[in-house]
This record gives sequence, C-alpha cells and structure tokens, in this order.
Amino acid sequence: MLLKKPNPLWSFFSSVKLTIVLLVLIVLIFIIATFLPPQEAAQEFVQQLSLGTAKVFFFFRLSDLYHSPLFYALMGLLSLNLIICSINRFPASLQQYKAPYFPEPAGIFDNLPQNQIIIANKEKSTVSLAVESYLKAKYGSVRKIDTKKGHVFYGERGRFSLFGVYAVHLSVLLMIAGAIIGSIFGLAADINIKEGETINVVNLAGGKGTHPLDFSVRCDKFTVEFYENGAPKTYRSDLSFIKNGQVAHRGSLLVNHPITFEGLRFYQSSYGTAPEIKAIITYTISRNKSREIVLAAGDTLDLPESKAKAVVLRVEENIMELGPAVKLRITSPQKDVQFWVFKNIDEIKTANPGLLSQVPIFNPGLFKPLVFSLNRIEQQYYTGLRVVSDPGVLLVAVGGALMVAGLMIVFFWSHQRFWVRMEQEGTKIRISVAGRSNRNSAVLQQQIDNLCKRIGQELKA
Amino acid sequence: MNHLMILSGVTFAYFASFVLYLFRMIFGKEFWGRAASFLAWAGLAAQTIALLLRWKASYDRGMGHVPLSNLFESMIFFAWAIILIYLVVEWRTKNRSIGVFAVPIAFLAMAYASISPDISNRIEPLIPALQSNWLTSHVVTCFMGYAAFTVAFGCGLLYLLKNMEKGDKEKPSGFLGKLPSLVMLDALIYQSIALGFIFLTIGIMTGSIWAHYAWGSYWSWDPKETWSLITWLIYAIMLHARYVRGWRGKRLAVLALIGFVSILFTYLGVNYLPGLHSYLKS
Repeated sequence: MLLKKPNPLWSFFSSVKLTIVLLVLIVLIFIIATFLPPQEAAQEFVQQLSLGTAKVFFFFRLSDLYHSPLFYALMGLLSLNLIICSINRFPASLQQYKAPYFPEPAGIFDNLPQNQIIIANKEKSTVSLAVESYLKAKYGSVRKIDTKKGHVFYGERGRFSLFGVYAVHLSVLLMIAGAIIGSIFGLAADINIKEGETINVVNLAGGKGTHPLDFSVRCDKFTVEFYENGAPKTYRSDLSFIKNGQVAHRGSLLVNHPITFEGLRFYQSSYGTAPEIKAIITYTISRNKSREIVLAAGDTLDLPESKAKAVVLRVEENIMELGPAVKLRITSPQKDVQFWVFKNIDEIKTANPGLLSQVPIFNPGLFKPLVFSLNRIEQQYYTGLRVVSDPGVLLVAVGGALMVAGLMIVFFWSHQRFWVRMEQEGTKIRISVAGRSNRNSAVLQQQIDNLCKRIGQELKA
Repeated sequence: MNHLMILSGVTFAYFASFVLYLFRMIFGKEFWGRAASFLAWAGLAAQTIALLLRWKASYDRGMGHVPLSNLFESMIFFAWAIILIYLVVEWRTKNRSIGVFAVPIAFLAMAYASISPDISNRIEPLIPALQSNWLTSHVVTCFMGYAAFTVAFGCGLLYLLKNMEKGDKEKPSGFLGKLPSLVMLDALIYQSIALGFIFLTIGIMTGSIWAHYAWGSYWSWDPKETWSLITWLIYAIMLHARYVRGWRGKRLAVLALIGFVSILFTYLGVNYLPGLHSYLKS
C-alpha cells in the first residue's frame, strides 16, 4: 500500500470513471463518424454547409475522424488510463496471488449451512486420508496443517486467473502499439497495371505521392469470369515479378489470396478496361510474307518495304453495324490514303458486290501492294492492385490472441479456494467445508456443494 | 422435401411456441411451457436439417458453400442461434420465462427473411470477396454473439418488468410468481453478455484476419467494422461498470437493451451507410 498521499493526477488517471467516460466519448465519435460522409464525398458535403459550420468541420477533422487529433487524443488518454489503472491495481492482485493458505480467513467456518458439515463415524486417520486424497485428486495439490482438535486442508484452483484482466488490458495496448507502428512504418499504395505493362512505381494511398519499388511488376494477363446470373466469379491477375531483369517470381493473384514479394503484399483490389481498344492486324507484304501486329488508336507503324508510315486513326468495336473495324492512314512520299479495315470484310463483300470499287475507303488493299486484315479487336483490361506492408500486423495479431485468452480466463475461471476442517468431537469427526472466490460466487457454491457430496460418498465407501 | 418448405414450417413452429410461452405466462400453467419448449426444440431440429439441406443443395448446383453468405442465410442462422442459446439457458436454469421474449425475436427474423421482398432466398454463388475459409468462422461467431446478446436483451426486459411490479405487493399475478428471481435474471444477463462478448470478440478478430487477406488491411473503418466496435465498446463499458463500479440489476438491464439496439444497427442499420460489407444489401 502507498503510504504517501497519492498524486492527484495519478488518481485522476487511475479511476475507472475516467475509463467509462473515455469509452463513451469514443463511442460517440464513432457514431458521428459513421454518419458523416466518407472522405471522398466530404468536399461536396462541406460546400453545402455555412461558413461557420464548415470551420467546425475542418477544425475537428470531421472528414476523417478516425485520423483526427481529437480521436488520437482520446486514444492516448485511454492508453494512459489503462496503464495507470493496471499499475495501480497490480500490487493488490499480487498480494491476492501470494495470499497465505493458513490461517484460513477469520470466521470462515462460522454459521455454515447444514449441508457443508459432514459428521463421520470413522477413525481419524481414515477420514484424514480420504479427505486428503480426494482433494489431491481434485485440485492437484493439497496443503494441510494440524490444529488442536484435528487438521485443516486447503485446495485451490485458478490462481492464475487473477491476472486474466491484465492480459486483456495488455492486449489492447499491444494492438494500439501495432496500429501505431503500422501507420508510421507501414505502406499502403495502389497501382493500375494494363495487361502487358510493367511498373516499378506505386501511388501511395491518400494521394501522398509515389513510391518506387526495388523490382518491377508485369501484368501478363487479367481474367474476369462471371457466373450465369452475371455476378463476378473470379478476378485473376497473372503477375511476373522482375528483379535485375530476371523474372524472380510468377503467380496468379486472386481475391483472398495475396502474393508476397520482397516484404510487400499484393492484393487484387479492382479492375477496369483501358479506354483504348487493341486491334490485332495482319498485313501481307507479298505472297508469302505477312506480319501480325497489335495496335491501339494513335499508334504508328513503320512500313520500310514501301518507305511508308501508317497511323491508326480509329479502332471501333462496331461501326455502321458492320462489326469491328480499324481506320488507317498511310503516308509515303508518293501517297496519302485513308481507309477502313473491316474484320468481316468477306461477308460485307459478298453482301454488297462491287462495293470496294464503288467505295474505295472500304478497301483494305488500297495502299498497294500491301493488304491489311483485322483479325480481332480486344478490350484491354487493367488490374488494380493494392500494395501493402504493415510491420505492426504481428503485434496486433499477438494482441488479438492474448485478448481472447484473457477474456476466456476472466469469464470462465476464477480463483477458488477451499478449506476443509476436521475436528474430533467425542467419538465422531466433524468435517466443515468452506470456500472463497474472487468472483462468480454461484460457481463457487456449486463447487462446495459438490465437494461436500463427494467427501460424504468417499467416507461411506 | 424442399428446405424452404421446412423453413416456413419452422417459422410457424416458432410462432406457435411463442404463443404457448405467452399462454404459460398468462395462465401460469407449466403445461403450456412444456408444449412451447417442445415446439422450440422441434423447430430447432427441423431448422438444423433445413440448413444442412440448403448446404447440400448448394453443392448439388456446383456452388458448394456454407449457407451463411447473404442476408437471407444470415437471418435464418441468427434465428437458429437465438433458439439454440435460449434453449440451452432454459435447460440450465430450468425456467421457461425468458422464452416469451427470446422466441418471438427468432420468429421475427425468420418471418422477415421469408416475407421481405428485398431479401432473396435463392442460393447464389459466392462472389470473389466471399470465397474464403474465413467466411464460416466469421459469420458463425458474430451471429452466436448477436444471439447471446439477444438472450441478454430478453432477460433485461424481463428484469425491468419484474422490477416494475415489485413495488405493488397487493396484486401478485400468477405470472410474476413464475418469473425467475431478480438475482437470477441479473446473473443471466451477465452470463449471456459474457458469452456474447467472447463470441463478438472472436467474430471481430476473424473478420480482421479475413480483411487482412481480402482487402490488405485488418481494419478499414468500414461502417460495419466501426459499428461492431461500437457494440463491443458498449458491452465493455457494461462489464467495467459491473466489475469495478458494482452496477447491478436495473442499470445492467437498461444497458442490455442499449446494447441490443446497437446490435440491430450493426446488423441491419449499417447497410444503409456506404461501405464494404455490401453483400447483405439484397
């Protein structure tokens, strides 16, 4: 016990009233925060406010209460309160932990109910042995002292449960520490990678600039599959991680199955289609010489054989109801022509005989001697990845496990202490059973009743 | 037999059970209580079979997932968990009084799930975010927690009712005599909250682990996450008030009601706020 008068600040922080007030305030902050618009929509929301209200909104960082100084201050106070409360109470718990078995608490055998007293008609040593062996079987170890008229036995269980509450409080602090470490030393970034594209810089979340990687990531392919009802079934990015020009790791990234590479975890977080559409075009230079090439609108293509240059003007999924098509412009010192290359040119020709001579712009062989054909067009997907490193996760996980263990101890265990007194009364032996527990007296009573019953049975046998 | 047909039978059984618990309360005859318990047990058994059939049906259709993936399935499981926890409490305490508050909540959940036009009872395949082994443990622990808190809510109502009529000794109704003692109700509120608190804690943690693997962050301040934390804090406040400041009885009963409102908001109200847990919207 502290002898000096406690410091007022210390007693302020060691009060559970403060804990309850802080927890209520934190709950209120959370309630407000969930009803305020999320950060992305906050700008629009603020514009509808009056100037004064808007000032309050910004002063308290209401757009992002979870990261506001107000919330941090409350969490800081709560942590301090938690630490000081625990330090304050710990000596008392330790004293309870070290509490002597004997003498038994004063008056514990007074006014016992009838069922907690057993009268035995047996030899003292027989009774003593029976009680001792039963207690030993039940509680692991049993202590005994001799008194003038007989003995007192002591058994206990759940002594460690005195510290369950400290485990829970420590777990909260570990999780808060983990969260702080994560927010200081962690990294969260997003990146969109088009199929075939390689990146080595990611965009930090919250618009905090970019972060270079020590390696590059290439998206080889992105696949999205749907169920018959139209709901998405799979999002998959086939990624290659390239280090020093070599593919160091290749893997398929799925939702719920992140990939870790060099301490960074990659998550499948979104996807989309790039604005441009890719056209896969083949052009024939001569009878047995042709090339396939992938082009998007705006791309240029050198045609050295004809000393010409082609520019892709448009790539269309469906033009004039005639299907996919690409519009090219080819310039050479002699010529400057524009024409469409239809994927379904054969069908179009069959349906409209003589079309190519009437409408030369539909002729894929307008720039002689080259003949172009459009094999197919493809939507180009990009995959949206979240890139994370969080050195605080381990601490949070340890905290979580400790919290569950601590709560189990707090709720399901208690420190139960039992004293059994044997006294010679004439030819009979009087056995009294009593107990104490730090909480959950209902369970203790059950235990005592059970103990009396079993000792009675033991002695009859 | 179609599992949906069994479920509508179960809904009816829970309603009938509630009516019988009501009869027991009004007429004070234990006969009605025994009939009510029987119907509740029978309903629980039938519902367990229906859940297993639905599980199997999802495999037969090539989707193969535990029936805990949308609002309909979660509501049905919620009702199942309430009845299970209530019946265990009834069996342990040998007292049927709480049934009149707990069973109708299970009935309402079942009825709302089957009647509401916004809730589809079809077995749908899992979207990528839900394709995780954490789905089962997360949903089961959360709803067992909700169910335990629901039982605490029933005990809280009963406590306030009994406490209200405690004053006028002149008119002892048959029902009041059948109620558990205030001390016992207080203990029941505490025990259900302790059980619920452990389940909710594990539920939040499994959710965090899942989020760590699915979204890349164990905590994202999604409204559902925040509200589950609010609920957790409300019950944490309650436990501290009891342990350290010795709050008992009426105050605890009132807090059990407040906690239940928070549970309802966490489960249903949050769906009207924007966030990541949108699977439950339909």
